[in-house]
Parts: sequence; C-alpha cells; structure tokens
Amino acid sequence: MPQTVQLFVTCIIDTFYPEIGRAVVQVLNRVGRIVEFPPEQTCCGQPAFNAGLWDQARSIAIHTLKTFEKTRGDIVIPSGSCTSMIRYHYPELFANDPAWLKRARAFANRVYELSEYLVDRLGITDVGARFPQKITYHSSCHLLRELGVDRQPRALLAQVRGAELVELPNTAECCGFGGVFSIEHPEISAAMLERKITNIEASGAPYVITCDAGCMTNINGGLRRQKKPQRALHIAQVLAGT
Amino acid sequence: MPSNFHQRIRHALADPILQAALDNNAERRNTARRTIYQSLPQDLQTLRQRAHAVRAEVIRHLDRYLAEFITNVQHNGWMVHRADTAHQAVETILRIAQSHHAKRIAKSKSMVSEEIELNSALQKAGIEVVETDLGEYIVQLRQEPPAHIITPAVHLTRQQVGQLFHEKLGAPLTDDVPTMTETVRRALREVFLTAEIGLSGVNFGVVENGVICIVTNEGNGRMVTTLPPVHIALMGIERLVPTVDDLALMLYLLPRSATGQKLTVYTSLIRSPFREGGDGCRERHLILVDNGRSALRGSPLEEALYCIRCGACFNACPVFREIGGHSYIGSSGKHTPYGGPIGSVISPALFGYREFGHLARASSLCGACREACPVDIDLPKLLLRVRSGNLSTASKFSPRKPNTPSLLKWGINFFTLIATSPTLFRFAQQTAGILSRIISPSRRWLRLPSLTGWGYSKDFPTPAHKPFRATWREIRQEVTSSPIDLHSVYPNTKPPLHSKQPSSPQSFVEQFESELTSLGGKFVPCSSTDVTVKVLSFLKEENISAVQAWSQEFLPAGLLALLQESGIQVTSQPHPDLLAGITSAECAIAESGTLVIPGDLKRPLTTSLLPDIHLAILRKSDILPRLPEALHRQERLKTPVTVLISGPSRTADIEMSLTIGVHGPKRVIVFCLMDA
Repeated sequence: MPQTVQLFVTCIIDTFYPEIGRAVVQVLNRVGRIVEFPPEQTCCGQPAFNAGLWDQARSIAIHTLKTFEKTRGDIVIPSGSCTSMIRYHYPELFANDPAWLKRARAFANRVYELSEYLVDRLGITDVGARFPQKITYHSSCHLLRELGVDRQPRALLAQVRGAELVELPNTAECCGFGGVFSIEHPEISAAMLERKITNIEASGAPYVITCDAGCMTNINGGLRRQKKPQRALHIAQVLAGT
Repeated sequence: MPSNFHQRIRHALADPILQAALDNNAERRNTARRTIYQSLPQDLQTLRQRAHAVRAEVIRHLDRYLAEFITNVQHNGWMVHRADTAHQAVETILRIAQSHHAKRIAKSKSMVSEEIELNSALQKAGIEVVETDLGEYIVQLRQEPPAHIITPAVHLTRQQVGQLFHEKLGAPLTDDVPTMTETVRRALREVFLTAEIGLSGVNFGVVENGVICIVTNEGNGRMVTTLPPVHIALMGIERLVPTVDDLALMLYLLPRSATGQKLTVYTSLIRSPFREGGDGCRERHLILVDNGRSALRGSPLEEALYCIRCGACFNACPVFREIGGHSYIGSSGKHTPYGGPIGSVISPALFGYREFGHLARASSLCGACREACPVDIDLPKLLLRVRSGNLSTASKFSPRKPNTPSLLKWGINFFTLIATSPTLFRFAQQTAGILSRIISPSRRWLRLPSLTGWGYSKDFPTPAHKPFRATWREIRQEVTSSPIDLHSVYPNTKPPLHSKQPSSPQSFVEQFESELTSLGGKFVPCSSTDVTVKVLSFLKEENISAVQAWSQEFLPAGLLALLQESGIQVTSQPHPDLLAGITSAECAIAESGTLVIPGDLKRPLTTSLLPDIHLAILRKSDILPRLPEALHRQERLKTPVTVLISGPSRTADIEMSLTIGVHGPKRVIVFCLMDA
C-alpha cells in the first residue's frame, strides 16, 4: 500500500500556479506517495504575521491547524517560507496560549518542505526527472536560514538528467520579496531584485530554480518587466519533468 | 510609512556615490568576516551559542552582576555614577567637566554618547569636544551623525574627505588616504596632549575583576584613556561579561565580526587610575547609562540587549546596503545612532515606538542579520515583534497596536476574512479567475500601477483561470509502487571542527612571527647576549638619537646603559619628538600576533603609544598559544592598565582603505629572545 501524504499547496500556488501544484503531485506520486488535498485549506497566515497583525494571523493559523488536524500523516508544503511559518513562527503566535501551542507544535512536527521531505524524510535524491537545460539555484531566505535546508534541493537538482547545474553568484542574497515588504518598500525591494537579476544573468543559466513561489513571482515579475529572457521556475516543475 | 523616511530612502537609492560606498563596505566586510571566522579555535556555531548564553545570563541577572561589577570597579579606584536617563548622564558629565574647569574634551568612539546627544550638550556649556576616531572626526567636521556604528564615514569617498580637510583644516587638497591620515595624526596629537578630559565608550565590563575593556584600531582610544588627567568612560548597563574567560570569548567574536580581525590593534584592559603618578590619568569615572535598557529586560525585545555592537548585521543586511545609515530616521525626522537591523529594534525600544517603529518594517526578514550576529540574536523575530507592537509589559512600553499602514491593514483584514472561510476563499479565487479572464484573457502577467507598490518594478501574475483546488478532481494520481532509487541518500556530512592550533612551543613562535608579520610588524630573533647590540644597531640604522624607554629593571640587562654610552638619549618621559619607544612584553599571543604590554609607573603606557616606532623585547618562552591564557597571565599582574597590541596602529575609515599609523606607532618591531 502506498503511503498517503497531505498536500498543503499554499495560497500562492493554489491561486496563481495550479501547474506547480500538479507538478508537486506528480513528483510525490513518482516516489510512491499518494497525495491527499484537504479542501478546506487556505493560507498559513504569514502575510498577516509579517504585516504585524498577529490577531489576524492567529485566526488564519487556527483555521489551518483545524483543517490539518482532521488528517493524518506527513504534510508536504512546496514552500520554505510557509513551512518556516508553521515550524518556526506558530509557536511564537501561540506563546501565550498553552492549549493552542501544544496543537501548533504537534502540527509543526508533521510538516515538511518538499525538497526536505524527499531527501531527509524519504532518503531520495533521484526522482527520475529530466530537464535538459542549464539551470541555477536561488537559495530562498527562510528555507536556507530558518529551516537550514540547502543541500536537499541541490542534491535533487544534481540528479536531474540532462540538467547542467551552475552556481548562482551570491545565491543566498535575498531577492527582495519579503512578502508585505515588497509593497511597503517597493524602491528597496526593486534595488534588491536588481542585484538578483544581475547575478542570474552572470550565472549564464536561462532558468533559475527556487523552492518558493513567492521568490519565483518576485524574480519573474522583474524579469518580465525588464523583458529579460531568463525565467524562474519552482523546483517541482523541474523535478516533474521527464 | 513616514514621508521623510521614504524620502531618505529614495535619496539614498539615487545617490551613486553612496551606493558605491555601501557596496564596497558590504563586500569587503562580509568577505573579511567569513574568512577570519576560519581562524577561530572552535566551531563558529558553538562559540556563538556560548556567547549567546553568556549574554543571556548577564541580562537575566543584570541587577546582581551590576552590583558586583560596581563594587569591584570602585574597589579598583574608579568613581562610578549611575544614570537612569540620557539627561542624567549628560548632567553627570557636565558636572565632572566643570569641576575640572575643562575647556576641551578628547573623545574616542562611544555609541552611548551619540545616544544621549552629549556633544551638543557639551558645546552648549562652552566645552569643546573633539572626536578622535578618524571616521567620527570626519563626520564631526561635516556636522553630521555617523552613518555606521563601526565605520562612521562609510558613506564618503576619499575625494569628499580630501575636500573636507582642505576646507576645514586648511590641508593641501589631496585624495591620498595616507596623506589625509597623517594630517589628522598631526591635528589630533595636540588635542590629546591638551585636553583636560578624555572620554571613551566601553566595549565590555568584566564583573569578576572590575576591569573595563576597550577595543580600538587607531590608538585614539588609548590616547584619550591615557594622556588627559581625567578619563570618563560611558557604558550601557548591559555591556557586562561575568568572567575573564567570557571576555576572551567575546574578544574572539567581536573584532572578527566587526572588522574581520583576530584582535583589534589595541585591546585596552583598564583596571584603575594611576594613583601613584606616571603618565596615565589620575582620575577615572565610569558612567553607567540605563536610558530605557532596564525596561527591555523581561520584555519580548530582551534579546536586543545581548548586542555587542559589532555592526556585522549592518554589513550583512541587504536593506542597509541599499539605503545606508543616514536613512534610519524617525517619523519626525529625528536621527537615531542605531540604524541597520539591530537599530531597527533598539531605536523603537529605547527611543519610542511612535517615532521609530516604522524602521522594523523596512526589512525583507531574510535573516542575513541573524546569520551574521556573533551572539546569535534572532533579529527577524525581534523585528516581527516590533511590527506587531508586542514590545513590553513594562509601563513605559505598555502594549501597543501594530504599526501596520492602514491600507495594508484593511487588505489583510479582508484577506483574513477570506482565508478563514474555505467557501469565501473558493469564491474569491473564482471571482479573481473570472476577472483575470476578462481583463487579461491571454496574458499571464499584468502591469500594475506604481502606487500599488508591486507595480513599481515588477509585473504581476494574473490569477489562474482555474485555481489548483478546482482542478484537484481532475488530477489522476499514478503512484509508482516501488519508489525510484531509495538508496540515493545524500550524505548528511558536516565538516570536521576546525583545528589549526599548533601544538609545540616551537610552532607557537613560528605562528607568532607569521601573524605579526602579516599585521605589518617585524620579528627580529636574537639571544639574551646580542639583544642589546641588535637594538642599538637598529636605532643607529634609523638615525634615532633619543628614545623613550621603560625602567631598566624591566628590560634586558645593560640595555639602557649601552644606548647611553653610544650617545642615545634615554628618557622615561613622553615627548612628542621621540621617534622610538622601548618596552618589554609580559607575554605574547601566537594565534593573533599580539603583544601583551602592562602599564604602570615604571612601565609608562606612552612608550608603546606616542613614538612612531615601538620596539618590544619578548622572551620566546612567553609566547602563549591563545588569548585566554594571555588574559589570565596579565590578570595576575594587576597593573592599572594592560594593552594587547596587534601590529601597528591602523584605520580603514576612509573608503575602507587600510592605512597604517593613525595615532599610535607606525611600526612595531619585536626582538625575540630565542634562548629564554
């Protein structure tokens, strides 16, 4: 019997990039997992949390907790940032509420970012993917510095057939997204993105891969505006390629 | 967001000179920091966590540690003053200055003095105050606040500094950094020698022995704590470490994080005033400033008190790199001395949420600051707490509302309504999908107006015509029954702990020599029989006819007599014309090329400070492998001051360009007795 996993697809992928959601399901299927999608899921609450509106963030978090408490097994999230919100910031949100804190911790123990799930949980780096392109990898901030996940996506990409993985200069530098930051401080965000784009160009790769749809949207938004040929892709899109 | 903050940001982003300077700062400092961490005796993460624990312990029991520290400092002969507010601190300093009829105060770097706005208060009282750190001196001449806590003039080019010195000091116009440094060396010598009071900051106060530690590179910190008859040290109450070992730990981390050095050129350990005379100052005052710090204890922002002011978070921060230190201003336009990530927490915490709370919103929360922090302060968490208004339960900072801009707040409120109801969420997605089909049937990216924020520099993706959840039923899952290559596990290996330490005494000597040489010092091996001759021939070669020297009892037998017989004048008193100073070293540190030089009546501190060349006699057997051993060894001497000297005086305050010989010696020559 294949094991089931719960997919928390994230509000961005759900609303803007259903094709990435499908790619995640394909990859998980390919490694022997049957995917369930709790239909009541919405968002982890990070936008409200980062905006400073913790009451609002708490109500969204509680909705998410309740949604996934009805399910069993591992929860896979194709986003470092949302995973980090749950694992790292939910305890902060519920610091003064022992009952919810306990539930939040139990929930946090079940969640895995996609690449972390594949490599650390399942011990798989080769998902049978093929992507005959030069690619480079952008280390997204929360994935790298809050979850400590970096070798996992790199290991997965290194196994992709046909792909030539080159290093992105200053890969760990923020792309300037930062959620609400990018709309509250558009000028600073733009300057940071400019650096990222310069580095992407310097890498010589037409595709920059990231584990977060937030970074991907930010980078692609800038690339499109400047009519640059490079594109950011979610790692699931590469791993689903055959 | 306050409009003047916004304006500053735009201004900074549009200033190509500033941008180049900030890039230069970030690149050099971050590279230097990462490189020098490799020289740590232990794994960086282990040391950071230990440092975090030390700071946490101090802050948790601050009252007890402060009481013990004050007792020990008073026992050492200092006068200790406590100031709850900035106003009290300023009043205390004015009182001390007036009681000494001081007309001029020579000041080394102190962030607390910026915080309490000391300079303007002193000037109002008719007292001239001269900043003596090169960078601080430059910004003082320009009448502007420092732009960085470590590199105050980081925003200026060498041409701008040259022009400034030309206009304000009458120096010939130049953009040659060593020439400019020489100009300042000459201008400030006179200040050091004539100021009635020297004022300094404090990096660490050691609780167990009541010693004050000050780290500097240029030598101005030594000057202002040595030459004027009265020394005032300004210290935030939180800057304590319990023991000498804890100090060693902090000294492993602070210079590395701040400037990428193993140790700063001068690490002064000041125990007591020179009550018995000598060239040191006779009276020392310590002013312990609270100014809002106590209120942070036990608050959600308590961790901000762990900060050791290294500035690494500034250098690592991608936002600081874009906007620079002068952009961090209050909603009324008020300047804060603390910018960057830590300043975006400290400023609202100490100086008011209403005025400075918005600074915490100017962060992408990327976490580069936390990664760079040598005491592992969780800065993103603190920034988030500031945003949420979750500041403190203390009365001064009674819980506030979040400082979210109202438009964003409405948006988030609306989003919360949707995100807590799957029905509404689905409905909103469907509506967005339909709208997107109408507005943009074929294009997947929209150009939004600039005022949306996003549209300023980026296109926006259109919502999918059919969101993922709507397609879920169509997704056919084909599960591979046997997963692909379950054995392709990526090895979870960690690099081995760093261990470069040489083990034999001979290798300590070699390491010391190589470290000293890389700092620009010179190593001269000699024996106890030929050292006097070698010193003499060195002085002859340099055409030096008069030297300042320690008392003969601390120098190799017969040295001073030989020099005098050979026509070289020897004095123990400092004089501006003396080109060389001769001292011994109590011991030396192999890992950093550092000399440990005690200072008392017979071993004047000026000998290793004022002359252009410092000659130090060192016994090979006194070369110790590491910093902690050396700190413990000097601790036994109980001299009023001990200075750890790592190479010649240096600065990088102008365009990060390394220049040797600011205020202290330009050359350091170590004569090592290999047979001792």
